[in-house]
Amino acid sequence: MITTNNLTKIYKDQTALDHLNLQVNAGEIYCLLGANGAGKTTTINLLLGFIEPTSGSAFINDLDVSQKAKETKKFLAYIPENLMLYPSLTAVENLDYFSGIAGKKLSKKNIFNFLKEAGLQEDAFEKRIATFSKGMRQKVGIAIALAKDAKVLLLDEPTSGLDPKASNEFGQLLHKLSQKGVATLMATHDLFRAKEVATRIGIMKDGQLKEEFIAKDISLLNLEQNYLNTMEYKEVTL
Amino acid sequence: MFSYNFKYELKLLLRSKWIQLLSIILLLLFGFSAYNGKEKVIKREADITAAKNEVKENDQMMLQLLDSVEKGMQVSVSRWTIPTSPMVIGNYYPRVAAMQPQAMTFIATGQSDIFTHYVKPKVTGDDFALNFTEMTSPVQLLFGSFDLSFVIVYLLPLLIIAFSYNVLSSEKESGSLRLLASQPIRVQDWVSQKLFLRFFWLSLLIILSLCLTFLIFGIEWFSVFNSFLSLVAIILAYMLFWFALAFLVNLWVGDSAKNAISLLGLWVLFVLLAPSVLNQLSTTLYPMPSRTLMINEMRELKAEVSKKQDKILDNFLRDHPEYAINDTTQTRGFYHRYMASQQLVKQELNPVLTGYENQLQKQQAWLEKLKWISPAITVQESLNKMAGASTGDYEHFRKQVVDFAETWRSFLTPFLYNNKDFTQKDYSALPQFIFQPKPKSSQFVVSGILLIVSMLLFGVGFVLSKKVKEEMMLKPF
Repeated sequence: MITTNNLTKIYKDQTALDHLNLQVNAGEIYCLLGANGAGKTTTINLLLGFIEPTSGSAFINDLDVSQKAKETKKFLAYIPENLMLYPSLTAVENLDYFSGIAGKKLSKKNIFNFLKEAGLQEDAFEKRIATFSKGMRQKVGIAIALAKDAKVLLLDEPTSGLDPKASNEFGQLLHKLSQKGVATLMATHDLFRAKEVATRIGIMKDGQLKEEFIAKDISLLNLEQNYLNTMEYKEVTL
Repeated sequence: MFSYNFKYELKLLLRSKWIQLLSIILLLLFGFSAYNGKEKVIKREADITAAKNEVKENDQMMLQLLDSVEKGMQVSVSRWTIPTSPMVIGNYYPRVAAMQPQAMTFIATGQSDIFTHYVKPKVTGDDFALNFTEMTSPVQLLFGSFDLSFVIVYLLPLLIIAFSYNVLSSEKESGSLRLLASQPIRVQDWVSQKLFLRFFWLSLLIILSLCLTFLIFGIEWFSVFNSFLSLVAIILAYMLFWFALAFLVNLWVGDSAKNAISLLGLWVLFVLLAPSVLNQLSTTLYPMPSRTLMINEMRELKAEVSKKQDKILDNFLRDHPEYAINDTTQTRGFYHRYMASQQLVKQELNPVLTGYENQLQKQQAWLEKLKWISPAITVQESLNKMAGASTGDYEHFRKQVVDFAETWRSFLTPFLYNNKDFTQKDYSALPQFIFQPKPKSSQFVVSGILLIVSMLLFGVGFVLSKKVKEEMMLKPF
């Protein structure tokens, strides 16, 4: 579903992404960990077609992003760190608008179902987004992905700033989507959430994928130690 | 995508109170400017009516005097004001040559605050010295006239700038652009649709405000349907030009503040700077001969000819034997010599006058060619033409007045040289001035050209924006 072949992005004299080879299959949740500037967001921007790779290629649903950026966007949904919807529109209206411009015409019943499936409480459906918390906005974002019937979900620090309950609910939603066969790539700093939701976890540094783990095969403590080692931090005794 | 943008753009505009605010602003601006324009038209009509009434009253007095004189009664007026003399009629009882306002005159003051709307050409007057210029309040000249054309040419672009400068940048600044750009759409298409919809709603508000303003001020827009359509077409084309500029600036410039500054810079360039520079250049390239020098020349010439008036009169009568044949008394007075010498002064001054007119025409032709540099000039000129207040309209009126002055003189001169008294019977034959408005050229052509220019700007935006990757639009400021 998501494939990158030697994907590289160089800005003037700075290498933001260095020959990244990645494969995220249907139903997988791949978490990219790394410090700020490690290349996580650059990877997502390249997969979204927002920036052009210096070399290498990225594929979404077997379509080359550089060649068919508009086509690939039909299969993907994206939730940034701060999902900014239209504050003066309601949740229903935002979902209707974003689905509509993506080419999906939804009935009111479908809109309600998607919002319910995304976990948004019913009394918030007709409220303006301006009154929503970040967690509620993320749920509308998930509803947009559900409505779009996205095959690929790209998440950029989606749980940062969420309280533990909202973060947990978000993790459950990701599981629900993976069961539907959605391939998810999530860039995050949250090791705990990554361990909780991911199928595989990659650690990035200086634009390179340094390490990769099967999430169920590694403990949270080991993951943290590996992360710190990769980042070359001094060992911390808790 | 369009139907969703259409539906939700209206909702967003309504909820952000843009539509309500624009409706109020447009109604206030159109209402106040139309009121100002109408007041000027009413004053102009009142001035012309007053002048005509004065002529009527004078005529009544003149007919009474003629009646008394013809009945051999004594009249208690000075000898030189008894209307049996054709020169008394020509000088003391002139007709009013008036430029009546037209149905759309209220939309633009144009040249009307510089030129007068009526004159009373006298038989001894000099055509070029006819007082066509009118001194108005210096405060008004300083601040200009708050008429519909001012609202359209100067203020409407500012409203468009306020309405469109941040269509893309606000999405970028709020963060919603990344979500939008992750949808299977082209950002350029989305921006152009948003701007088109804003253009559509603003156009609708303007048309409604115009209809309402016309109704409030008692102008039946359906009775001036063609002119109304022409006015709407030119406003829409001018608006489209500014929306096209907003499109280009939105795609290329950057944050909202820079967009606003760039668009305001373009406003200064097109609305203030270009007209001023063109005006300066036209007067530098084709300077007008000094009117003071021309009047001095005329005075010198008159002083010269007054010394040899007898000779001039002899030559004049030699050239006009018809007067000598009919004149049994051969009495020659002041006016016989004056009128003959005036004819000579006119001929002598003809090259100076022609030079004056030629320079004016060259200035006009030069401005006509270069007016396309700024749509503001083009639109202002079109609105002036629609209002019948353009330089061309006043020149057209001036020529009619000069022709009428000649007709007035030609009617009374034979009375003078034939030493024939003016009688009551001759009254009905006195020439009357009938104003013929300048035939209106269609302003749809101007709208069409502006439309093409706007479309070209949009086209340039689309073509060049293909080279500007979304990367540029999405990168943080």
